[in-house]
Amino acid sequence: MIKLTVNGIEHSLDVEADTPLLWVVRDFLDLKGSKFGCGAGLCGACTMHLNGSPIRTCITPISAVAGQAITTIEGIGNPTSLSSVQQAWIEHNVPQCGYCQSGQIMSATALLANNSKPSDQDIDNAMSGNICRCGTYPRIKAAIHSVANNQATKNSELFTNIMEAK
Amino acid sequence: MTSFSVKEPTTAPSTNIARRNFLKATSIGTGGLMISIALPGCATLKNGGLTQANGEEQWNSNAWLRIDSDNSIHFVLDRVEMGQGTYTGMTSLLAEELEADPEKIEVSFAGVDSIYRNTIYGIQITGGSTSVASSWQIVREAGAATRMMLIKAAANTWGIKDSECIAENGAVINKSNGHKQLNQQISFGQLAAIAATYSVPSDIPLKDKADFKVIGKYNKRLDAIKKATGTADYGIDTDLPGMKYAVFSRAGRWDSQIKNFDASNIENMPGIEQVFAINKPNAIGIAIVAKSYWQARKAQQVLQVEFHESELNNVDDASIFAQYKKDLAEDSGKNVRSEGDIEEALTNAEHTISAEFEMPFLAHSTLEPQNCSAWAKPDGLEIWAPTQSPDMAQVAAAKATDYSLSDIKVNTTFIGGGFGRRINQDFVAEAAAISEISQQPIKLIWSREEDTQRDWYRPSSYHKLSASIDKAGNVSGWNHQMAGSGVFNYFVGDAAPAQYPFAPKFMFGLLESAGKMGEGIIAPADGSIFEGAEALPYDFDNINVDYKKSDSGILVGNWRSVGYSHNGFIVETFIEQLARAEQVKSLDKDSYQFRYDLLNKHPRAQAVLKLAAEKAQWGNPLTGCTQGISIHKSFGTWVAEVADVLIENNQIKVKRIVCVVDCGQVVNPDVVVAQMEGGIIFALTAALYGEITIKEGIPQQTNFHDYQLLRMNEAPQIDVHIIESDEKPTGVGEPGVPPLASAVANAITAKTGQYFYKLPLKLE
Repeated sequence: MIKLTVNGIEHSLDVEADTPLLWVVRDFLDLKGSKFGCGAGLCGACTMHLNGSPIRTCITPISAVAGQAITTIEGIGNPTSLSSVQQAWIEHNVPQCGYCQSGQIMSATALLANNSKPSDQDIDNAMSGNICRCGTYPRIKAAIHSVANNQATKNSELFTNIMEAK
Repeated sequence: MTSFSVKEPTTAPSTNIARRNFLKATSIGTGGLMISIALPGCATLKNGGLTQANGEEQWNSNAWLRIDSDNSIHFVLDRVEMGQGTYTGMTSLLAEELEADPEKIEVSFAGVDSIYRNTIYGIQITGGSTSVASSWQIVREAGAATRMMLIKAAANTWGIKDSECIAENGAVINKSNGHKQLNQQISFGQLAAIAATYSVPSDIPLKDKADFKVIGKYNKRLDAIKKATGTADYGIDTDLPGMKYAVFSRAGRWDSQIKNFDASNIENMPGIEQVFAINKPNAIGIAIVAKSYWQARKAQQVLQVEFHESELNNVDDASIFAQYKKDLAEDSGKNVRSEGDIEEALTNAEHTISAEFEMPFLAHSTLEPQNCSAWAKPDGLEIWAPTQSPDMAQVAAAKATDYSLSDIKVNTTFIGGGFGRRINQDFVAEAAAISEISQQPIKLIWSREEDTQRDWYRPSSYHKLSASIDKAGNVSGWNHQMAGSGVFNYFVGDAAPAQYPFAPKFMFGLLESAGKMGEGIIAPADGSIFEGAEALPYDFDNINVDYKKSDSGILVGNWRSVGYSHNGFIVETFIEQLARAEQVKSLDKDSYQFRYDLLNKHPRAQAVLKLAAEKAQWGNPLTGCTQGISIHKSFGTWVAEVADVLIENNQIKVKRIVCVVDCGQVVNPDVVVAQMEGGIIFALTAALYGEITIKEGIPQQTNFHDYQLLRMNEAPQIDVHIIESDEKPTGVGEPGVPPLASAVANAITAKTGQYFYKLPLKLE
């Protein structure tokens, strides 16, 4: 039995140790938002967070992440409770076919958690492992910048409110 | 996305009698109203789904508008969403005339519920960039007719005239002055049952453009929430009770037969349930069925299988291009355009400029690999597939199994990228055959390597161009001759039987042969090699375009923008060469002005080109860059693109693309912008990297390390501008692709003087 925490829920699974995390999450835990694209860590469609960092789960054996905390797209938000990144994706009409977007959002979420004001270069560095065949890159970039700017606005409003309260 | 969808979209017959046949009203069980709609098919061997029944013309419905008593509005479409915005565009058209909020209309794909099943099948393919273009009129009429029926129901309820009511936001409002219920409203849902007893009005006036509330204004993508939360169900997400997972080992050469296989070393591996050979005309290989996908895939790695040699054993790129050249030299094939006298122009030329082009095979690389789920039961076969053509999927499944067409039901799903790949139905045939033998529900998933190596590629092709220049220094003639495989023969086998669903299966072969013979006669000509070349827009006195069909034997299919994908490059780089040739006296015209003046018969093209030059500040490139310009018309839409390109460390860096598009009236402006952006990046991938090579009949590329796709750090800035227009809408899914490679190539030529005769672009 391999133990695994996914989106805060602990699971005990009877699967072969070399089974990639992607297929465990999709087919044993029935969380199908993460996608299979290449099976070689080249496209990023399968991206999840391992302890907060983005990993390519199509090449990550389940044994390598036993006992650790995994977050999938389903753990980021849902249609009735969207994360700020998902909100920005919708506002910018980012998805076309949409197949890569779970992975894109996982990479972008991790980037923004570590870098609240990424430059174009930072975005290129963090996002170039995620392929979008439909070519939504300009919109992904714009959406990431907008999350950063909204956050900056909120922070400065918060700061102003605190100062006024004083 | 098929090659024979180039013609103007099929439009509704103008008589009221025929129009009534487009729309049919019926009541449904729970007090609702259903309007069945016959949308013109976009790529049909016959005329848009029109069939002859008892000597009368009859339209087959393929979209349905349903209003339920609980006020829910459903729009059921039988064409599929693969990223191009069909979902949003069609709903916008409907909402406009119905007077409902587009966000309140629930869209689903047909086939799931038996009330939507056709009894007579026309062939539908989502492709050819024509969904909105071909449905522009009829979907609005469906919305308007339904609104008129709902208004009539309300007016009868209140005892007032129809003209004293208005419809707004999903309800009808009483506007009868002095009436005791003035300004009261009744919701569409409450009116649906009454409206269902009326017949569809024969005269259906549509709104003026000035009154549009949704069309040209509404900018949301209706599927964005699902796709941003991982809750959209693609084919690969299909889950069936008791479902098993399958993988399928195919030969490297698609036409090879199985020689032998040995499953003894995998039969005892964990989870492996069945290993068996399949030998059907459209599915040849060894299937492994297991409890999990990973178990099946792991077993496949140690499966011993041998295939016979085939006719493709001695085929490689060199032999293919040698064949194209030889075939074209022996016989110039079919003349697809002839104006003036090209022989005379070339004979009398003061100078002649000639060039030869070789265009590569290209893979589709949809990010969702091919996959299909199938469930064979005693009474029928059910399919769940991300397919661009459910009707052809049904034929493919019938060929691969003992089921007849009427026993096969196809459900479509969201599609993780189509680009023409999912018009060919091999993955459906395989899944159907596997489930039939396995006697249980299975999901077949292709690996990325299988997806790249068993594609129906954009055909490679060979082109020979010559331009004559007269004594005055003007271009007097243009001769374009080409050879390559057309795509038609590679899908007519599934397409032809889909036209005749009542034909027994033993007739399929005959129908395929008839379909092949009918190309250019009962079916439109296969333009997949020459389209875009024969429509050369430049005003020369003598123009000749010839196409010699020369089959390489390699599987080919429709690839985003099909023939335009290579001809946009060839025509626009050869024009560039003429614009720059010292023998051509162009009175100091630059690449822009040379084109502009030669487009004098195409004012829409001139407007597009002019705006592109203005927006890109033609003549003032970005720092360190040079500029290239290109224009091409495809699927009825003109697109001009200006590329700003930097050469750095002997690498091509595309910094910015300015794109101007004239696609007639715009239904959803942001979808148009998104399709241009996507088309540009798709085309830039091909321009910089795209090439499938063939060795001993086997495609050589496998995954994204050797078949690269453009990534975020390589994506240029893209500025899209839409020309304001009152013309009929035309395609947007594909037309962004054709001008891109030539715009980039021409920018490099401006810097280095190098001309490009092959793709992908390689610096000298």
